[in-house]
Amino acid sequence: MTLETEVQALRQVPMFREIDPARLKLLAFTSERVMFSAGQHVFAQGDPSDAAYVLLQGKADVVIETPNGPLRVAQLAANDLLGEMGILSDAPRSASIVADGDVTALRIDKRVFLELLGQFPQMSVAVMRELAKRLERTNAKLAALSA
Amino acid sequence: MDKSLFRYIWKHSRRDQLVIFAVVFAQLPFYFWSLELPKRIVNEAISGNAFKNGKETARALDFGFTLPSFLGGSKIVLFEGFEFERVGFLFALSGLFLALVLVNGGFKYWINVAKGALGERMLRRMRFDLVSIALRFTPDTLRRVKPSETATMVKDEVEPIGGFIGDAFVQPLFLGTQALTAMTFIMVQNAWLGLIAGSIVAIQFAVIPRLRRVQIRLGRQRQLASRQLAGRVAEIVDGMEAVHVHNATRWERAEIGHRLHHLFDLRFRIYKWKFMVKFLNNLLAQITPFLFYAVGGYLALQGQLDIGQLVAVIAAYKDLPPPLKELIDWDQQRLDVQVKYEQVLEQFSPDTLIPLEIQDPKAVVDGPLPGPLAIEDLSIYDQHGPLIEGLSLAAGLPVHMALVGDGPAPSVLARALSRRVTGLTGRIAFGEADLLRMTDAAAGRHIAYAGTDPILFPGTVRDNLVYGLRRAPRPVKDMPVDRRRLMEAQRTGNPEDDPTLDWLDYEAVDATGPHDLDARLIEALELVGMRGDLYQLGLLGYIDAATPEEDIARFIEARRKLEARFEGMEKGRLLETFDPGRYTRQATIGENILFGAPRTGSASPAALAEDPLVREALDDTDLTDDLVSLGLKIAREMTEIFRDLPPGHPLFDQFSFIAADDIPDFTAMLRRIGMKGERALKAGERGRLIALTLGYVEPRHRLGLVDGAMEERLLQARTRFRELAGEDGPVAFHDPEALNLAVSLKDNLLFGRITHGVADAERKVMHEVMEVVAELDLKEAVERIGLGYRVGPSGRLLSAAQRIKVNLARCVVRRPDLLVVDGATTALGESEGMKVLKRIVEARPAASLVAVVRESATDTFDMVVRFDGTQATVEDRARGRERGVQEVAAQ
Repeated sequence: MTLETEVQALRQVPMFREIDPARLKLLAFTSERVMFSAGQHVFAQGDPSDAAYVLLQGKADVVIETPNGPLRVAQLAANDLLGEMGILSDAPRSASIVADGDVTALRIDKRVFLELLGQFPQMSVAVMRELAKRLERTNAKLAALSA
Repeated sequence: MDKSLFRYIWKHSRRDQLVIFAVVFAQLPFYFWSLELPKRIVNEAISGNAFKNGKETARALDFGFTLPSFLGGSKIVLFEGFEFERVGFLFALSGLFLALVLVNGGFKYWINVAKGALGERMLRRMRFDLVSIALRFTPDTLRRVKPSETATMVKDEVEPIGGFIGDAFVQPLFLGTQALTAMTFIMVQNAWLGLIAGSIVAIQFAVIPRLRRVQIRLGRQRQLASRQLAGRVAEIVDGMEAVHVHNATRWERAEIGHRLHHLFDLRFRIYKWKFMVKFLNNLLAQITPFLFYAVGGYLALQGQLDIGQLVAVIAAYKDLPPPLKELIDWDQQRLDVQVKYEQVLEQFSPDTLIPLEIQDPKAVVDGPLPGPLAIEDLSIYDQHGPLIEGLSLAAGLPVHMALVGDGPAPSVLARALSRRVTGLTGRIAFGEADLLRMTDAAAGRHIAYAGTDPILFPGTVRDNLVYGLRRAPRPVKDMPVDRRRLMEAQRTGNPEDDPTLDWLDYEAVDATGPHDLDARLIEALELVGMRGDLYQLGLLGYIDAATPEEDIARFIEARRKLEARFEGMEKGRLLETFDPGRYTRQATIGENILFGAPRTGSASPAALAEDPLVREALDDTDLTDDLVSLGLKIAREMTEIFRDLPPGHPLFDQFSFIAADDIPDFTAMLRRIGMKGERALKAGERGRLIALTLGYVEPRHRLGLVDGAMEERLLQARTRFRELAGEDGPVAFHDPEALNLAVSLKDNLLFGRITHGVADAERKVMHEVMEVVAELDLKEAVERIGLGYRVGPSGRLLSAAQRIKVNLARCVVRRPDLLVVDGATTALGESEGMKVLKRIVEARPAASLVAVVRESATDTFDMVVRFDGTQATVEDRARGRERGVQEVAAQ
């Protein structure tokens, strides 16, 4: 796998879809490809948020620690972005991510990511737009629930 | 040292000077003779005066002298000589002349060598004296002395003084007599010509020194200015952090530029004067022959002077200006050097020096530090006022005393107890011995001081730890005595101690040799809480000649065990092991070609790209053009990816192959290539592109540049490089069966590269290393290598906490009777500091400890001195307890 394939993967991520390909290449180049073995934590609930990840290969479980033990709440697959909320809000990890089989992910360092957002307003706008969309969806869901 | 340079020289080199004087006088007759002889050759042999009146033969090579008339005027013949016919007579005299030239040359050679030796010896003595004086500077003086200026003075400024010393007495004597001889000779030939020569000389002596005085004044200013420049440069380098933090580079540049201009101006003016004087000198020297030809020729025509005399006079005059010029030079040098000497001396004449007897190197120290400690009415002042006033206390040894309080007083008392403070009234005594009158040897043996600002010397951790144990050279039996070295030392007032011998006092730390000593050092580092760091330093360190064979064998065993472990973990993808026949994907292309490490010098991609052997290997395997093309691809990608980041952006430094400064170069290069093709590349540019490629790691940079076929070809380059470099050449190659002395212990143990992009790989790998090291009982071996870690200038390669710990361990290791810890443990953090102090006390409960600590950390102490401003109250917990016990007993 080369940088090109990573750029392709990043383009599949809604948050990055509208970003200029040259920027995505910079994002990919400054990110690190990381391999996880089955059962290994990508990160654990409560850890400080130091990076976001884009899954390139394999599947990973989202696990929440409950008083009754760990609870699997979702599964993530290739091209999914994870941990991005934590690095934007500076909050600790709200869930654990555990590799389900071998996983390859692109690790986007928090500092580098924020650096790029600061440098390129277009990227910030793309991220804001995605966040706004999510908020809208959540509002819609809330409205549906309360109706 | 003497105030006057000449007295200083005379005092220390009288004998040598007198010997040289004698030789100078001895050579004078020969010199005069060599002046006289040409006249005889011309008049008697060539003009034939000796063969007048039909004489067939003449006598030559006779040797004798005529007594002065008051001794009877008779001629004493020492050797009769031979009779010669005319041609023979000429050759005999000419041969004699040649012999005299050789004799005079021989004399000159001997005198020069003797003068040189004399000067060098005095230079050695003077430098040594200066450093000796510097070693006696009191702490107060040291605060005002700039180290770099002191260094320039000892190194550079005394150098010309040394060069002059050989000439100081001999030169004026030698040249003066020579000039006088020549003058006398001319006078004897013809008084008029003598007068002409004499008056020109007089003019030279009158005018030129005056001109030169200006030159000297400028020279003095130059000396001061360059010394200050050296001081300033050192200040900037030492304070680089502050310069950057406060963005003062522009000001510093301007300041240095200003100084350099001042220096240039001085130097230029000196040049102008110098050549002006030279011009005048030459002019005067040239005018004289003119007068000789004109006046002497006229006198010859008139018959008042024969041709032989004229030739001899001109020959003699040829010898006159050089000694005169040198004599004037000497005079100038004298003034110059005297000024230099006075200026240097001024810097080395502080009001107070530590008395010599306190530093007696042969002082004997026996027994422990006597008790009790008594401080009587101690007051310490500095220029701002009192620091401590009227402190009295007494304590039996051993005492564990805490010094507490805000302000400087606790630290000042700690410094006073270790003799780091001089301006004090009152008395500090151990038993009968006054602390200030103790010899350095005794105080150094008994008392150790660890401050917050540790002074480490460049060298290894071990060198720093044993610094306090270097007590006396250990004589080696049957070691050949270097008599010359000893004799020179005696002649120059230098010490006869040989620093290359083993100076360590093993007995003082219950060790029998270096191996034991290392164990003591490791113990000391454990006490101060640095053993973990030492292990890490060991992994970063290099195996050296001192590493025992069995350790090396076990390190290789550890490597095998690790390899087996890693194969079984995470599908063997934690680490990629080096294999001579396989491309290491996790390493750079450069590392793959080298497959080893240079024994000296750098293995950076840029250095490799310039290395002729690497380039030859690439050429031989037809890879050069490919690597240049790959370099172009990398450059293209990098300039594209980083195009929109402003230069100096942190992401550049972290990720880009190309330094931000070089981006414009590469952009321009790429544009040109785009138009003209790769042939437009210059040789230097090809090198830079190859350097880019050599730093490339496929799994890390992921540009898809290296495929299987390329790996094969790079392996060929590796093989070719190995052939070219040879097994014992500049590169130490990786060998699965042997350790590589040119790479760190960690690299040796791993024998491979940690895979890029395996989550948490580094931590897991190092954990395995730790386990295997423990399993094979290699921990101490690793720590020994850690002791060999080089700490850099002032220990800058260590962290601040590590420096403090090494300094503390250095004090602990020599087992002082009193350890003074002045805030060193506070700097380590309160709980860590407390633990360290507790461990130190537990390790040697019979030794005393005085520590500056916070109030909350006084639990382990049996005496607490609390300062409130300059006044102190003393809480003696030990006596309190004792009294308590007695009271209980009385009930």
